[in-house]
Amino acid sequence: MKIIIVSILPFLFTLPSSSQKITISGYVKDETSREAMVGASVIDGNNKTGTTANQYGFFSFTVPAADTIELIFTYQGYEIQAKKIVANKNILLEVLMQNQANLLGEVIVSAARSNRNVQKPQMGVIDVPIKAIKNLPVLLGERDIMKIIQLLPGVQGGQEGTTGFYVRGGNLDQNLVQLDEATVYNPNHLFGLFSTFNVNAVNHVQLIKGGFPAEYGGRLSSILNITMKEGNKSEYQAEGGIGLLSNNITIQGPLKKNKSSFIVSARRSHINLLLLAYGKPKESMSYKFYDVNAKMNFEAGKRDHLFLSFFKGNDNAAYNNANSLNYTTHFGNSTGTFRWNHLFGSKTFSNTSFIYNDYDLALSTSQNNYYSLLFTAVKDFTAKTDFTFTPTPKHKIKSGFAFIHHRLSPASFSASIPRNGNKLKINTDSIHKLNSNEMAFYLGDEWEASTKFSINYGIRIPLFTSPGKTYSFIEPRITTKLSVSPSSSIKASYTRMNQFLHLIPNSTAGLPTDIWVPSSEKTKPQASTQFALGYFQNFKDNTIETSLEVYYKNMDNQVLFGEGKQLRINVDLDSLIVYGKGKSYGAEIFVKKNTGKLTGWISYTWSKTTQQFKDLNFGNKFPFRYDRRHVLSVTASYQVSKKWTLSSVFAFSTGSAFTVPTGRISTLNSGTIFEGNYYIYEGRNNYRLSSYHRLDFSASNKKTVKLFKKEYEREWVFGVYNAYSRQNPYFIYFEIDALTTQPKAKQVSLLPVIPGISFNFKF
Amino acid sequence: MNCKKRIWLFVACFMSGACKKDISIRFPEQHNSLVFIEGMLYPGKVPAINISTSNPFFSSKITPQQVFARGAVVTISTGSVMDVLEPDSAFNNFRCRWEPFYRGHIEAEYGKTYTLEVSYAGKTYKTSTSIDQKKVTIESIVYTAEFFDVYGGHDGMIIKFTDHPGSKDYYRFQMNRIIDNSVKHAHVLDGFVNTCTGANELFPVKDIGRIIFTDENADGQKMTMSIEVTYEYEKDDEGWVFIQSLDKNAAEFYKDLDDQLQAIYNPFVEPVFINSKIPGAIGVFGSAVLSDSVLFVYPRDHP
Repeated sequence: MKIIIVSILPFLFTLPSSSQKITISGYVKDETSREAMVGASVIDGNNKTGTTANQYGFFSFTVPAADTIELIFTYQGYEIQAKKIVANKNILLEVLMQNQANLLGEVIVSAARSNRNVQKPQMGVIDVPIKAIKNLPVLLGERDIMKIIQLLPGVQGGQEGTTGFYVRGGNLDQNLVQLDEATVYNPNHLFGLFSTFNVNAVNHVQLIKGGFPAEYGGRLSSILNITMKEGNKSEYQAEGGIGLLSNNITIQGPLKKNKSSFIVSARRSHINLLLLAYGKPKESMSYKFYDVNAKMNFEAGKRDHLFLSFFKGNDNAAYNNANSLNYTTHFGNSTGTFRWNHLFGSKTFSNTSFIYNDYDLALSTSQNNYYSLLFTAVKDFTAKTDFTFTPTPKHKIKSGFAFIHHRLSPASFSASIPRNGNKLKINTDSIHKLNSNEMAFYLGDEWEASTKFSINYGIRIPLFTSPGKTYSFIEPRITTKLSVSPSSSIKASYTRMNQFLHLIPNSTAGLPTDIWVPSSEKTKPQASTQFALGYFQNFKDNTIETSLEVYYKNMDNQVLFGEGKQLRINVDLDSLIVYGKGKSYGAEIFVKKNTGKLTGWISYTWSKTTQQFKDLNFGNKFPFRYDRRHVLSVTASYQVSKKWTLSSVFAFSTGSAFTVPTGRISTLNSGTIFEGNYYIYEGRNNYRLSSYHRLDFSASNKKTVKLFKKEYEREWVFGVYNAYSRQNPYFIYFEIDALTTQPKAKQVSLLPVIPGISFNFKF
Repeated sequence: MNCKKRIWLFVACFMSGACKKDISIRFPEQHNSLVFIEGMLYPGKVPAINISTSNPFFSSKITPQQVFARGAVVTISTGSVMDVLEPDSAFNNFRCRWEPFYRGHIEAEYGKTYTLEVSYAGKTYKTSTSIDQKKVTIESIVYTAEFFDVYGGHDGMIIKFTDHPGSKDYYRFQMNRIIDNSVKHAHVLDGFVNTCTGANELFPVKDIGRIIFTDENADGQKMTMSIEVTYEYEKDDEGWVFIQSLDKNAAEFYKDLDDQLQAIYNPFVEPVFINSKIPGAIGVFGSAVLSDSVLFVYPRDHP
């Protein structure tokens, strides 16, 4: 009961403000499309205080009343805007910002740029510029959010070419990927070569990897927030692209001018045409994927805003090789989100959401005369409400409550292929459903204690119930900032997190055979404690941002499949899992240039991650599979002219760890079905794949042309992925001669130099 | 170059670039060689101990002769009686190769505890086993053309017997057959061609089951073994079937080996590390008590 009272505390403060102070609130939007500008900075020029617009473009702060006040609004890629307003009473503003790309001639910026990366009491947070996502070279001309995420400090990719990402020593499942607040459990297409997010429909991307504010929970390592565009409220617009793998189209426009809008974006693959040409004799391949994003929003007065968004993505693939690997798979995500923004007075912003998401994956694989079947499904029903309350210029209080009902359906099986070829099938209707409920209350405050010191502190109380077991925890969160100068600061954070759903990874199979399971009496929630310390410094009027962060993270109740455990239908998955702990520490350097003709970043991470399980590796510590000592990314985009932009990416990382036997023994009294040669392992993940590196280039040519007397923008993007054709390892397997029993190691490399081309248009 | 030619050139570039490649790679040899000791005592039989050295994983040394630990001093003692074992070898007619081992002179006896001591390359390894497992009686053997277990679908036989109550027991299958070189291995060695024995030249083979059965949750109850056999057969072929009652060490060690095999061949199973039962070395010194044998006649040809 106390918790509920605490969570509704902000209501109690929405009383009329003191006559000495006024509250300025409002929405920051794109001038042309009226799209919300997530994260736009608002600075009070008189009092040198400021805030940032939230996920809906809303901001609110309280200042002493004055005759006039100068507000400065900044957002990367947009003209800085200074507004003088009469400030003798509470004001609700609508601020429209102009995209620099739409301006004629040279843009001259006179006002100060935002230094919020330095001055905000948050660390481990990176806003990923959509411009970078659109410019940087990618595989086969397909723009991809997740591939860019992998280039950020503290983040690394998984297997070659895939979009999975690993943050600060955490496993894949420790990242919460949310599209308009709905969890996307598998944000991949084409086995992870591409993500499910269509860049044209995305407004904002933010990665949080440490110093988590209290409103975030449920995962140990990162939160990836992807916000869809709301749709152009002023005019109809269409854009699209034709690539080697897929075509996409996005249509948006007003439902009621400047009040409501819609956006529909769809993408569909046409890979089968390429596969037909590329396929070898004895091989047959087919692959189809599509995704659809749709969103509607409606402004019901100045205080209420309604959103309805929908996403569906689907993949179907089959690959048959007469000699070795065969698979068929289907997987898909569907999400639906209804949101209601309401403004209580001028100081309290609320968002209430109802979210549904449905994910399922069915995989049938055979390799070396063995086959594996896997089905995993997660259905979530979520209701949540969040409040942001700004009682004084010094405090921003956030509180809220969330309830999620999870329904998981895991099933898996592996065995040798029967002589008659009749493989078992998983009847998805008969899979035992695992129901559980997750709740969380939180309360946090961002307090600017002085001009130099500010602190973001809070508490989150998650509660998880599954049949026969209830878990509840207290998660303290704190991030502090001490300004050294207006352009430099030192920050420190402490975070405690818990996670109730687990993805159990398989370390040996070349293809993904991961399966989601909920916490239970035996499988306890994963937990982490993370400390981080950072130094942040901006140069050249905040056009160059730099940071150095060090972190230390402990992870408990980590899960892996036990040695020799075999997936079987109707076998309790808990009995196949072993439990242990993990530890990760590292240092991350980030140098980012945001403006000018040359933009990009350099990111370097040194880290070490180990795991220790009582029932694995003789109980000794071993390296995490993606323990990579050095990870370096360099990205650069150079605008040669109004038409041409050149971009490049270089990525390097130490090879990931994997297990190789070091010796062999020959027995005379073991089972005679096999030859009696066995392996000696000296350690789990004892070898390293060769290091990963590649260089990509792209060149884009943008031009405004006339078609049927109407102007439209067209863009050609030419790219080369892995320019020097580095044979990066995808996975290693052993071939064992049945008669001589001598093993040979083979490395599978997937992506050599690959040219790409795509054509994009917008009108 | 016309437009059509340009398109074809581009498609050709793409096709030549995008492909999966399997590349042979070499690993540095980082193996600290271990002594491997495998000794199973059977009441009424003289000890035969397999002592070899482990080899780097990718080494081309593969035959038992190449890895045999020559020059080891091997003793087995019980009470005041000590048996000094000597190097010997037996010819494996199916694999056409000599398999060396250390042979004792004194038959093992039920109810006794034996200590094995091996001195090799300046190190000494010592371990013990007791032969006190209870012998079981096979109650029935039925042929099956197809059964399914965790390893997949197989042909073989279903054996029933009753477990002794009050103790934790471990069992595995054994069948002795007399075959000639026309009989093929039913599994990984099915491509092996026997050239060392002549047509219709008979020789014995021992088929040892891979699975270790336990009486966990079935103490004192009727037990069923579904057995996948090693060698192919024809209708009316005969074999003498036994059940080995294993001691705990041997059971755990051979279970580890079987689990490891499963992981080696099934790419969806995590690697299994072998837990040695002999300090400082790798291996096991255990014992097995055989049931009385039962003659089994195959009712049909191998499927």
